[in-house]
Amino acid sequence: MNREVFRNIFIYSTILTLQIFIFNHINLFEIITPYIYILIFIIYKTSYDKTLLLFLGFLSGIIIDLSIQTYGCHTFATITICYLRTKIEKTSFGVNANLPSAMVKGTKFSSRAFFFLSLIFIHSIIYYSLIFFNINAIVEIFSYTIINSIITFMIVWVISKLISNK
Amino acid sequence: MQSIINSIVKNRNLIIYIVLSLITFNFLYQKSPIHSTNIGKIATFISGTSSSFSSSVSSYFSLRSKNQKLITENLELKKVESKYNILSQNTENLSILSGPITSAEVILNSVNKNKNIIVINKGLSEGVNKEMGVISSNGIVGIVKNVTDNYSSIISLLNIDLKINAILKKSSTLGSISWDGKNPKIVKLNDIPLSSSIKVGDTIITGGMSFYFPKGIPIGEIIDYDNSSLEGYYEIDILIFNDFSSLSNVYVIDRSDNEEIKDLLYE
Repeated sequence: MNREVFRNIFIYSTILTLQIFIFNHINLFEIITPYIYILIFIIYKTSYDKTLLLFLGFLSGIIIDLSIQTYGCHTFATITICYLRTKIEKTSFGVNANLPSAMVKGTKFSSRAFFFLSLIFIHSIIYYSLIFFNINAIVEIFSYTIINSIITFMIVWVISKLISNK
Repeated sequence: MQSIINSIVKNRNLIIYIVLSLITFNFLYQKSPIHSTNIGKIATFISGTSSSFSSSVSSYFSLRSKNQKLITENLELKKVESKYNILSQNTENLSILSGPITSAEVILNSVNKNKNIIVINKGLSEGVNKEMGVISSNGIVGIVKNVTDNYSSIISLLNIDLKINAILKKSSTLGSISWDGKNPKIVKLNDIPLSSSIKVGDTIITGGMSFYFPKGIPIGEIIDYDNSSLEGYYEIDILIFNDFSSLSNVYVIDRSDNEEIKDLLYE
């Protein structure tokens, strides 16, 4: 049990560190900044406490916000996906939602992809809506959301494979 | 109580989510100027809409008191309107005057003597001459006594030496107005025979049978009368329309046909 906790803390710390020191500085075509820290909330096992997940989301969001001065945009996006995660799990995996690692193994690819994409898309659309915070920028909000969601999904998918293999 | 606690425990994630969201938005509002401005706009819009709604609801329920207030206001306006009508009616009297009219300001006035005199700021240079009638918008004032180049003195209606020809507006019965030197608001109407029908509230106007005033200038109204006189005439008290204690603007009437009439009389 202790070993699993330390392992998780290590993985979460590593992902956050990667996000802060590497991915936050990627700004391809001035649009694309992959937010791979969403992986923390994706690989969080279904058997773990959901309340803890909310606080974990809040803490991670605050850290990212402070690192790139987005004043709470990440925090709100992350606590929202953490709160909605239970419902998305059930929608994505159906009866397999009870499997602790359903998001990385033991379920169909399409279910896992839907789960990943749902969380990433919801996070991105909330984040960019708050960043622009203007109804007239709806085209920009959707274009940034779609492009970043796709790029983030690809990176997050690869990293999740690496973690699950180990 | 237990059910409330159970409900809170059951929905704890929702409650925590809402609390954390509020903290986040507070952080966003405090630290980000753009979000602060836009959230402020949204808050203003929401509060404006809700205030407007609550205001319209509350105004509906306060219609009774507003209605009462409007009635009171309407009553006040009616009073002002009737006062205005009286004034304009009185001012119309100026238009019935045949000769030229000179307006003047009262610079000296008294009401506490037996022989009150008024001084105005117009004299010979403005066309004012002796024995011209002087009126105000409320009625007659007096007759010009002496004239200098720039000033004139007027024998006030409140002067025991002055007698003005007057009639009852209703019946055109002829009489004369004089002051007894007592109350500056009340003058006497003399020479009205007991055979005439009068009542309290009847209006007295100038009779036009003098050199000073044309017919129809208001003087006052009957407030009391005594018909027990053995001489066959009423003793009538008239409340004069003019307030001599606050007289400020007057008009001097030039009856250009005076001289012609005088010539005819004294030929």
